[in-house]
Amino acid sequence: MLKLLLPGLLCTVAEKVLNPVVGMDPDAQSRLNRLQGKQFAVRLRGIPLRLVCTAQQNGIWLNSHDEPVDCSISADLSALRQLSDPSQLTRLIREDKLQIDGDLQTLQQFSQFFQQLNPDWQERLSVYLGDAAAYKIAGGIQLLQRRVQQSLQQTEQSCRELAQDELRLTPVAAEVQQFSNDVSAVAARTELLQRQLAGMLPQSQAFV
Amino acid sequence: MSEQQHSGTQDSTHFGFKTVARDEKVSMVANVFHSVAAKYDVMNDLMSLGIHRLWKRFTIDCSGVRPGQKVLDLAGGTGDLTALFSRRVGPTGQVILADINESMLNVGKDKLRDLGLVNNISYVQANAEALPFADNSFDIITIAFGLRNVTDKAAALRSMFRVLKPGGRLLVLEFSKPTEAWLSKVYDLYSFKLLPAMGQLVANDRESYQYLAESIRMHPDQDTLKQMMQQAGFAETSYHNLTGGIVALHRGYKF
Ligand SMILES: C[S@@+](CC[C@H](N)C(=O)[O-])C[C@H]1O[C@@H](n2cnc3c(N)ncnc32)[C@H](O)[C@@H]1O
Repeated sequence: MLKLLLPGLLCTVAEKVLNPVVGMDPDAQSRLNRLQGKQFAVRLRGIPLRLVCTAQQNGIWLNSHDEPVDCSISADLSALRQLSDPSQLTRLIREDKLQIDGDLQTLQQFSQFFQQLNPDWQERLSVYLGDAAAYKIAGGIQLLQRRVQQSLQQTEQSCRELAQDELRLTPVAAEVQQFSNDVSAVAARTELLQRQLAGMLPQSQAFV
Repeated sequence: MSEQQHSGTQDSTHFGFKTVARDEKVSMVANVFHSVAAKYDVMNDLMSLGIHRLWKRFTIDCSGVRPGQKVLDLAGGTGDLTALFSRRVGPTGQVILADINESMLNVGKDKLRDLGLVNNISYVQANAEALPFADNSFDIITIAFGLRNVTDKAAALRSMFRVLKPGGRLLVLEFSKPTEAWLSKVYDLYSFKLLPAMGQLVANDRESYQYLAESIRMHPDQDTLKQMMQQAGFAETSYHNLTGGIVALHRGYKF
């Protein structure tokens, strides 16, 4: 009964969290100005939700719909985390982990905007808690951020190793290369055989 | 309910369950909204347990609004939809909050100003039946919980069609008919017993909330409203039932 309303709820909560954080970053405003009026959509594969971000001077506004936007991507969750690295884009697209429609520059600008988001927690907290407490808590938040980032990287690495080496669910690069060489060899042999067969055909017809 | 039944006869119409002269309805509706304006937002949150915000969010999603567009929030009252649109159309776009009632418009103006939304919003006191805008002016028109208060709904829909740009869309968010019998019963109990009591307690105004409950029952159901939109000229009309059909969002395009 509430299914249609859930994306709206999600967007409301996300806006309420995101925009105060944007407001805490003193440099965010100039980066937002550059993005102003642009719309970017993300669809995470496996989740029936397309999230549309609209950048305006006064913040990032979220919606969920299927209308045309400046740039839209459809991606695996793992691919989304690698978007920040432009050198990975081609690989992700080739591996079908990422599909991009529209203006690539908009995608990169949004991606940079979120990456460079650097809220000044200390400044905001000091208004409520005083300078000393704010300094301690802001330090704690930074430490936490670093730890979470490290452990995310570690988890990703461990999962990759586990899948490749232990469970052998996914091939290592050398195996992929070997497989690709084998496929090319089979393709070449098939083509040769085809040509030989084609050459034999007029002779066989002559016997009929 | 047929279209004829809910629109009344040529001289008379409905004001809730009462039959009144057409001219009389306008001033009676005006009195209701003059009376509830100050407490309107609090009562809205209370009566719907905040869910009206999600209905309005869904309306924005279905509008597919883009930066730079021109939007009319008709019968916009205290401006909830105007606020959502204003942030999305940005400085290159424009939102017009139009309402027949000055008290509601004033509450809306103050609220939007407090939210810091000033640059791209204009306010117009207007009757939905005869909109004071040029033909083909708007990319999007919304009318949320407003249409059932309008005396001549067919005239209002034609007027909206006229001022919409070709390719533009109309969204009508309005109370409708619950799709499940059990929900209908619970809803009746809620709106005829609890709602007027809440109106009395919070806004000291039982009658206005009694009117609210009655006007909801007299409003055309989903398919009738869809048909009325088609008769006014809208194409590709469709609707979504929200919260079991307690509310429906109708959408139609002008091509
Ligand atoms: C229930 S309120 C809805 C306000 C707002 N759209 C919302 O969703 O919160 C209904 C509004 O319709 C307005 N209204 C009633 N009849 C109207 C008419 N003929 N033309 C324009 N507005 C009208 C009332 O003044 C009132 O502000």
